[in-house]
Amino acid sequence: MNDTINLVDLDSNLQAASPQEILAHALAEHDNIAISFSGAEDVVLVDMASRIKPGVQVFCLDTGRLHAATYEFIDKVRQHYEVDLQILFPDATAVQQLVNEKGLFSFYQDTHKECCAIRKVGPLRKKLLTLDAWITGQRKDQSPGTRANIPVVQHDRAFSRPEEVLVKYNPLVNWTSAQVWDYIRSNNVPYNKLHDQGFISIGCEPCTRPTGPGQHEREGRWWWEEETKKECGLHR
Amino acid sequence: MKITLVKKILADGSPCKKCGDVLEKLESSGQIAQIDTILTADERDPESDGMVLAKKLDVDRAPFFVVEKDGAAPLVYTVYMKFVKEVLNQKTEEKDELKEIMENNDDLDFL
Repeated sequence: MNDTINLVDLDSNLQAASPQEILAHALAEHDNIAISFSGAEDVVLVDMASRIKPGVQVFCLDTGRLHAATYEFIDKVRQHYEVDLQILFPDATAVQQLVNEKGLFSFYQDTHKECCAIRKVGPLRKKLLTLDAWITGQRKDQSPGTRANIPVVQHDRAFSRPEEVLVKYNPLVNWTSAQVWDYIRSNNVPYNKLHDQGFISIGCEPCTRPTGPGQHEREGRWWWEEETKKECGLHR
Repeated sequence: MKITLVKKILADGSPCKKCGDVLEKLESSGQIAQIDTILTADERDPESDGMVLAKKLDVDRAPFFVVEKDGAAPLVYTVYMKFVKEVLNQKTEEKDELKEIMENNDDLDFL
């Protein structure tokens, strides 16, 4: 079996499907699957999935630097939905080494990559190595420069176990922010109160700020860094 | 086992910096001896060997490695450290692995 080709065909078939249809497919296809929940507007995935398959696995990456409002919101989601919500923590030794060597705010000088690698990617990889598939809230409109070609379903080669396929689903990929918020309002979905304070994209407290009228959400994250220069993609 | 490395030439004709970095690591470590073929994905030429292979295997980034074993589907590695650890069986530092994943996957920013 050629999994890559199968996933390409599946992606093509699911491009016109609704997020609920994509989620239903993903949850039916894999028992060992989990939703990555950031504590922001991707709560719509938790809402949709809990209606399709109560008890679905959901995980959050607690970097140790989230806003208090995000912690409160994550706990609210835990109580509100019938899901198996797990909170993942970074390796304490790695965090301690970084902080002892470079202080608590090294990302303002060294870019956010090193800190994110330790606080987010490490625990994420540890979790994904236990799964067959995962679900993200990625959308194309979050960053037209880097997310324009995100598929609905793909083989996640960065985090797969050796010689195995890890499937990554992006059910919201073709939705706009407006559609997400229509869903939240229409279905009385709880949301992070930081959104009411001008935050669009919500990450760690020192790295996230509200955006003004007309600003893209990317400008609310890592604003001290230059726009990421894309070089690794293949423009086919 | 056959190992192919695909490196990239950018649309403006310049070499891809990440590909150059990986090639340098392969050469300085002596791992280059285990690479059977090096192909070029030239963004100016969709018919270039590397671009054709990328399309065939649905790979959207470079550099990448393709590992072929008899009777098995080809394995694709887009993370150098993962390739080194799993295919060449060499020890890597977790810190370096995570840093490479973070640097090469912009989609992780919004998690």
